[in-house]
Amino acid sequence: MSTLPLVAVIQFPGSNCEYETARVVREAGMNGLVFRWNQLSELRDADPDAFVLPGGFSFQDRVRAGAVAAKEMMMDIVFSAAAGKRPVLGICNGAQVLVESGLVPGWEAGRVEAALAANHIAGRSGYLSRWVFLHARETAVLKSPWLGKLGTSPIPVPIAHAEGRFVFWEEDLSRTLPVEALVYCDENGVERPEYPTNPNGSVHNLAAVMNTDGNVMAMMPHPERAFRLWQLPPWIPGEWGDRIRMSISAGTLADAPGPGALFFQGLADHFGGGRHE
Amino acid sequence: MDLRNELLEVIRSRKLSMKPEEAEKLAGYVGRMPTPLEFHLFDTMWSEHCSYKSSRTFLKRLPVAGPLVVLGPGEDAGIVTFTEHRGQEWDLVVAHESHNHPSQVLPVEGAATGIGGIVRDVYCMGAQVIGSLDLLRFGNPSGPSGERCRAICRGVVEGIWKYGNALGVPNLGGDTRFHPGYDDNCLVNVVALGLVRRDRIVHSFAPREAHEEQYVLILAGKPTDDTGFGGATFASSDLEDESEKGAVQVADPFLKRVLSEANAAVLKYLFETGVSFGFKDLGAGGIACVTSEMAAHGGLGILVDLDSVPVSVDGLPSEVIACAETQERYGLAVPLRVAEDVMDIYNEMYELPRLFPGAGATLIGNFSSDPSYRVMHRGEEVANAPVACITEGIVYSRESRPAPVIPVEPGRRPCDPPGDLLRMLHSLDGASRSPIWSYYDSEVQGNTRFRPGEADACVTVPIPGCSTGLAVSGDGNPWYGELDPFLAGAHAVGEAYRNVVAAGGVPIAITDCLNYGNPEDPEVFWQFRQGVEGIALACGKLGIQVEGQPLPVVSGNVSFYNQSSSGGAIPPSPIVAVFGRVDDFTRAMDISFKEPGNLVLLAGIREDELGGSLYYRQCLDHKGGRVPDFRGDLERAMAKFVLTCTRSGISRSVHDISEGGLLMAAAEMSLASRRDARRGMVLYGPADDPVYLYSETPGYLLEVTPEDWESMDQVPDFVSVAGRVTDEFAVSCGGWRIDLQPLVERHTGLLDRLIWREEGEE
Repeated sequence: MSTLPLVAVIQFPGSNCEYETARVVREAGMNGLVFRWNQLSELRDADPDAFVLPGGFSFQDRVRAGAVAAKEMMMDIVFSAAAGKRPVLGICNGAQVLVESGLVPGWEAGRVEAALAANHIAGRSGYLSRWVFLHARETAVLKSPWLGKLGTSPIPVPIAHAEGRFVFWEEDLSRTLPVEALVYCDENGVERPEYPTNPNGSVHNLAAVMNTDGNVMAMMPHPERAFRLWQLPPWIPGEWGDRIRMSISAGTLADAPGPGALFFQGLADHFGGGRHE
Repeated sequence: MDLRNELLEVIRSRKLSMKPEEAEKLAGYVGRMPTPLEFHLFDTMWSEHCSYKSSRTFLKRLPVAGPLVVLGPGEDAGIVTFTEHRGQEWDLVVAHESHNHPSQVLPVEGAATGIGGIVRDVYCMGAQVIGSLDLLRFGNPSGPSGERCRAICRGVVEGIWKYGNALGVPNLGGDTRFHPGYDDNCLVNVVALGLVRRDRIVHSFAPREAHEEQYVLILAGKPTDDTGFGGATFASSDLEDESEKGAVQVADPFLKRVLSEANAAVLKYLFETGVSFGFKDLGAGGIACVTSEMAAHGGLGILVDLDSVPVSVDGLPSEVIACAETQERYGLAVPLRVAEDVMDIYNEMYELPRLFPGAGATLIGNFSSDPSYRVMHRGEEVANAPVACITEGIVYSRESRPAPVIPVEPGRRPCDPPGDLLRMLHSLDGASRSPIWSYYDSEVQGNTRFRPGEADACVTVPIPGCSTGLAVSGDGNPWYGELDPFLAGAHAVGEAYRNVVAAGGVPIAITDCLNYGNPEDPEVFWQFRQGVEGIALACGKLGIQVEGQPLPVVSGNVSFYNQSSSGGAIPPSPIVAVFGRVDDFTRAMDISFKEPGNLVLLAGIREDELGGSLYYRQCLDHKGGRVPDFRGDLERAMAKFVLTCTRSGISRSVHDISEGGLLMAAAEMSLASRRDARRGMVLYGPADDPVYLYSETPGYLLEVTPEDWESMDQVPDFVSVAGRVTDEFAVSCGGWRIDLQPLVERHTGLLDRLIWREEGEE
């Protein structure tokens, strides 16, 4: 029985990023296991320290992306873990599930308060795979178990989605700041609302939204695809581009960490290397 | 009426593509008037698509064996040795097919089922699928059929992303070209790659043990409907009109994803239980083909019960249930004693019936040593044929008549580098493909090192913790094809080969898809034979992984009848994918210029052979005649030089010289530079020689430091210094200087504006 923190990666029918996500959890020094949607008792018995809902197309995006998975029995276990302040991260389709389940932003329990609408912005609509830059809100860095190591400087990560535009009810737009976690910006940290800096038209350039307690975060970009430095494109500008160049000349590219590793190393630090009491 | 007339009547009324003599052969096999099911089964079995009856004789010219080849052409996919990791042998599984006609008629579904079908071919060898490539040929989006061509291009790209992205298979590039010869018949060639442990390879027929123990056939996946009925036949006839939509299947990536997870669990269970089994995907000919072939190739007979086949449409006739090409289905040959456990994995553990109405695993047949293929339906025997005739295909010897093109070269060749580069960068074939790639997920699975466009080949690192990378590229130039079908074949191999080498990969195998018109036309058949000869020549010359051994062709496909009643045959289109091994993936090379002051080496001489070149087409509005010669020994020597530089860490960036020649290559390496560290190149010239600047004679540009250049001992005579990298975003030479910034937006946005926004070329 491992004494490392256990991070459960939930496989819904149609998930397709579960294995690489569990892998980066393990590479960050934690225990990452994939649980199939109907392994309810196995998941309860494992009593994970944290949960990740991975990317993919759960239930074929029937009704709305994430809508059906949000109603799966497996989610009850995620709900109680979230209520118990355990860290929960939804990536891409996993973020859509968290939003559809009402966990994020979670101002009022059980109410769906946001949506991930179809990408739409002058210059590009529809499915988009692209590397973008984002940075974390200071308030979020202090609160979120996922952002402790991130700081507020811009990092490159890839997006790959057709519905990633965060939208809220009109009356809620003024109170989003406390739940804003990650924001699209350029490599210098400037938050331009135009494409391609904002790749999908998301309000307030939002790339990730968390709940008011900060333990649950729904993010559209894929940190597991930027976990190692060699996963970054050769043209990446700024500090991370310089790191690639230096790492290649130093011959350390095989193992050098990428910006995506910060999310999972931050979680490992949050647990201090051990399981919850 | 006599038998022949009866047979002719059936062929006519059932719209079969089989020839009267084939129908007579069939009647001879069964010793009576064949049943409808038998007619449709053999119509598929003996279709060009399945039987290679026109091409087989000549495909023998291709090298298919070699010390690295684990499994050559014959089963669903080819297998070649890839690498060893932690004491395990890992093999590369590759398959290559066309889905041309369906994509022309229903672009979204056609392209999606193209991906769906090719990944099944790789899955059913027991492999995990680690990537796919698509090689697309569209008509002229600005020509007379422009509107339809643009719609087909949009639809095909949509079908590819909706299926591949949802399935979770990274898109590892390919290529896209535009040529008016595809106005009425687009090409959608697809390649799938997988990895399998040597001791976990699965074969697509009932195992020997089935002679000793009762084996059964389990059908797993989607409930059968009437989609794709006659699909293979459809793919083997001229594209008369678009009334054939019923022959196109409907894909379901969601079900496929769950099914693939269940398959993996089933295979794991079977290997751990230690039983022998067979596994095959359902493609052309559906249940009829999979059941008969799994039995026949295992030297067995089988009794199939159609009443136990789950269907989603009531009242289907037996020949439709048996021959429809409903997607997302597999057949498993397993011992009866484990059948229940196997079906539980599909139906209970992975809940297929809950997730998709009617889906699941069912027992539909019993293998037997009685060598006959029998099918029962509603209490009647609807097929009974000796299995021998199922394995024994048919062969035609087609007439072939040479139709060489007489080379015509342009009278004048004005050379205006600034204007010429602009025209080439802003042309259909020279514009960036990023608008297409932006729809594809090239990073799912988390192993991608280089995405499309970053290097000459995509590079993936498929085994976590293992330093071996895989470089893949596909190519085929229709402009060469219409001028010289032989050299088109050789250069299809050569270009994809150079792409893999430029990225740092040692080519280990290729696949091909040979797309041509109607083989019954002697001149078309000659084009096909020329293409095969060209590929054979190139493979014979280019093997370097094992000294003195040819580069093996491990899988492939022939697609004839690519023409419409109005449009005539497509340009000869041999399309090739090359797979290379990168010993240390951290040494894989991209194309972006790195440091000012570095030298740019030119590997390869520049010859006056600009036929079909981008320069002729875009700047002189002329096709020319003399396409680049294929110089196998030089090609191999250049590859060895480049790989030596890259392995030893001397290379800083590498790009092969192809369309647009040396100037275009220099511009592309500059355009790929970091936007906050722009680079350009000063060419040492000659500054105004169109042959030097635009010739597409094969070659490479390599960026190296001056120190490394000094320290190189014995530089091959085909290597020279072409210029140096600068920190200005421009390409310049002697009397001229081309600023690249003003060209970027149109170069990257052209296809988006033209194809997706319908804004027209100007």
